[in-house]
Amino acid sequence: MTINRLGLLFGVIFGFTVRGARLTDYDVIHRMLKFQDLEPFLIMGSAVGVAAPLLWMMERRGWVTPLGGKLTFSRSSISRHHVTGSMLFGTGWAIAGTCPAPALAMIGSGRVLGLVTVVGIFGGVMLRDAVVAREATRVAAPPVIEPATIGV
Amino acid sequence: MPDLLPDRIPWFIAGPTLGLLIVGMFALANKPLGSVGAYGQVLSLARFRSASEPWRIWFFGGILAGGMLAGLMRGDLAFGFGFGALADELPMPALILALLAGGLLMGYGARWGGGCTMGHGLCGSSTRSPGSIAAMMTFMATAVVVTFLISMLIGGAL
Repeated sequence: MTINRLGLLFGVIFGFTVRGARLTDYDVIHRMLKFQDLEPFLIMGSAVGVAAPLLWMMERRGWVTPLGGKLTFSRSSISRHHVTGSMLFGTGWAIAGTCPAPALAMIGSGRVLGLVTVVGIFGGVMLRDAVVAREATRVAAPPVIEPATIGV
Repeated sequence: MPDLLPDRIPWFIAGPTLGLLIVGMFALANKPLGSVGAYGQVLSLARFRSASEPWRIWFFGGILAGGMLAGLMRGDLAFGFGFGALADELPMPALILALLAGGLLMGYGARWGGGCTMGHGLCGSSTRSPGSIAAMMTFMATAVVVTFLISMLIGGAL
């Protein structure tokens, strides 16, 4: 099985599960964030509760993956962007009542307004990439910035 | 084919399933599962650049298809404005603006912060990555506070 087919299969199971558990419903997420519906917390907690010990064991035993070499986790130490970016993300999450993956599953089952959120997410990702590219060109070549090198 | 699924898959099935997907992608391909990376890859494709990780585009499409499958099996696959209480409180133009703004903030913030509910919250925290755990705690706390503010400001069903 190639990694592309694996991606497709895992996407289908993921979309099926979040839609089946109603994590695609605005009301479920909104009530979760008001602590009136604790099931989404239980879902996240049990997902991490299953994944963390298995990953820990595989790392300790030096697991070699069939498609990607030796198992390695790219852990990040805490830095400012984790906090600033996540504050914006949390604000958007509270407003739209859905996060990037469930918004896709929402569209898949015919909820057309999910499309508006997804368009917004694409716009936000593009905007952030444009800001990063601009900062990079400013640092790399301060005197003359040719339009072509900005590239976005 | 309606009613093949319960109204809501219980948490003790849904949660471990998501956990096993995270484990499976690491175990088979040494890759972290996340959705914002997938959005980025779809953007590269849309701009006719070669995607560095094409499998993430397949993952993106799979989520769409999986949502459709669950809707089919529950017999509620239909076009509709699925935004519950928010759609009751806001007129359509305001609703569309709010969802667009929410999406923009999520896309910008997740790209900046390095991940979303899946990438940091499920995947990164399962590998005990300090940055991911900090990011998850930040967006959880922020979302709770903003939700209470929205409820206070708009009231009604929210």
